[in-house]
Amino acid sequence: MKAVRLSFMQMIKFMAADMMLLAAGVSPVLMGAAIRFGIPCIEGLLMEFTGLPRVISPYYGLIDILFAAITPAMFCFVAAMVMLEEHDDHIDRYLFVTKLGKKGYYISRVILPAMLAFAITCVILPICGLTEMAFIKVLFLAISGTLQGVIIAMLVVNLSSNKLEGMALTKLASLLMFGAAGPFFLETPYSYMLFFMPSYWTGMMVTCNNSLYVIPTVMVSAVRILILARRGRY
Amino acid sequence: MIEVKNLTFSYTNKPFITDMNFDVKKGEIFGFLGPSGAGKSTLQKILLGMLPGYQGLATVGGTECRKHGDSFYQMIGVDFEYSTMYEKLTARENLEFFSSLYEGKKRPINELLERVGLENDADKKVSDYSKGMKSRLNFVKALIHDPELLFLDEPTSGLDPTNNRMMKDMILEEKKRGKTILLTTHNMQDATELCDRVAFIVGGQIYALDSPHNLIMSKGAAKLTYTWDENGERSGSCRLDCVADDQRLSKLISENRLLSIHSSEPTLNDIFIEITGRTLV
Repeated sequence: MKAVRLSFMQMIKFMAADMMLLAAGVSPVLMGAAIRFGIPCIEGLLMEFTGLPRVISPYYGLIDILFAAITPAMFCFVAAMVMLEEHDDHIDRYLFVTKLGKKGYYISRVILPAMLAFAITCVILPICGLTEMAFIKVLFLAISGTLQGVIIAMLVVNLSSNKLEGMALTKLASLLMFGAAGPFFLETPYSYMLFFMPSYWTGMMVTCNNSLYVIPTVMVSAVRILILARRGRY
Repeated sequence: MIEVKNLTFSYTNKPFITDMNFDVKKGEIFGFLGPSGAGKSTLQKILLGMLPGYQGLATVGGTECRKHGDSFYQMIGVDFEYSTMYEKLTARENLEFFSSLYEGKKRPINELLERVGLENDADKKVSDYSKGMKSRLNFVKALIHDPELLFLDEPTSGLDPTNNRMMKDMILEEKKRGKTILLTTHNMQDATELCDRVAFIVGGQIYALDSPHNLIMSKGAAKLTYTWDENGERSGSCRLDCVADDQRLSKLISENRLLSIHSSEPTLNDIFIEITGRTLV
């Protein structure tokens, strides 16, 4: 456990020394502030301009879902970049044959950042969220976002051969988050076409106000994570 | 220390390592010699517990490689052929980090850096190091937790003659300290000088396994070559163990007519080519 902790701390130091990764690490807080204070302002302006009673507010739930996914996505992006750099420098293969081991390496690079992202999401989502949120909703949105973050990190690490490819792929993989828009804009049964995206079920959870949708979210995420783990590069 | 019995492994349907058998005793320097793609790295990965899908027996320190626990890597130090350092960190920061991953008593970082001549570059970023400096740093990184078993992959690659000598002396010092060393190399001279025993590996099979001296002596006797003057310079040769049977040589010696005489032994490289039919490229 000591080796896992030290390896995780090493990643934090690595992140702190890289401006791009540092910016990615603090971006959820900045984004939270922008959402909390910016979106209601914009809504007010749009209502005044259009004369409509509501413009963006029907989609506040969707914005909350996306915000819940941002912290894990950013943290897992940072982890994926560190892993790709370590792969380029052959450090991962060396760490596998130290006391840390392969399992410890993945715990320190994927599981711990995801857990940290989950905890931070649980704290900042009720503060910066736009809708009324019961604790259970915060918890389920954070779980959903964290699982997506893990999927993004695994996709990027498995399919990219360097940091540049990794950054491009992160943008592509982040589209996974937009499955949440399905239930907001598509009628059933057409929206079911997005069943393979975990975020779609999170969208269903919010639009139907039914926490049971967390089950398909977890199941679809688990299948993706298992496939990625089995087809992993290592 | 290491026991391998009937080891078979394949990446595809075709066997890559076939029915391999050998053992490495504690305190021994054991060399794997073979061309690229012979199976040396795969064998090393199996012994390091990185490829668990093998058949047969492969134990390191009494632990089956596919079933190792956390403490397995405490007894192993690995020096890969390529640099495995954080390029943005200094040499000292790298060693401090990797050292912190292990438990137990560690070897002093300054002492190790001094031993490989990097004491003045300890606080320089690894990205500013030359290939040879990285190679030396990689080597001391494998020693930092004072492991019982060292896996060294081409440890002298990219080193100038002075540092090559220093590295070989350090490897021999580790042997004196009781370490078991597995050396993978293309360099026959290094293998002859360092290894107690070597295994010739080609196509995933061991073709020969013995001490370098025995291999040289069993497969090719030393030769004696001499020249003399007889209407111009002429030369002759005979096996060293048949010198007494060479009447011409006896006559030339008795008449003091020899211009030159020297003996030459076949090298391990010659023996490798003779046994495996392959060169070490």
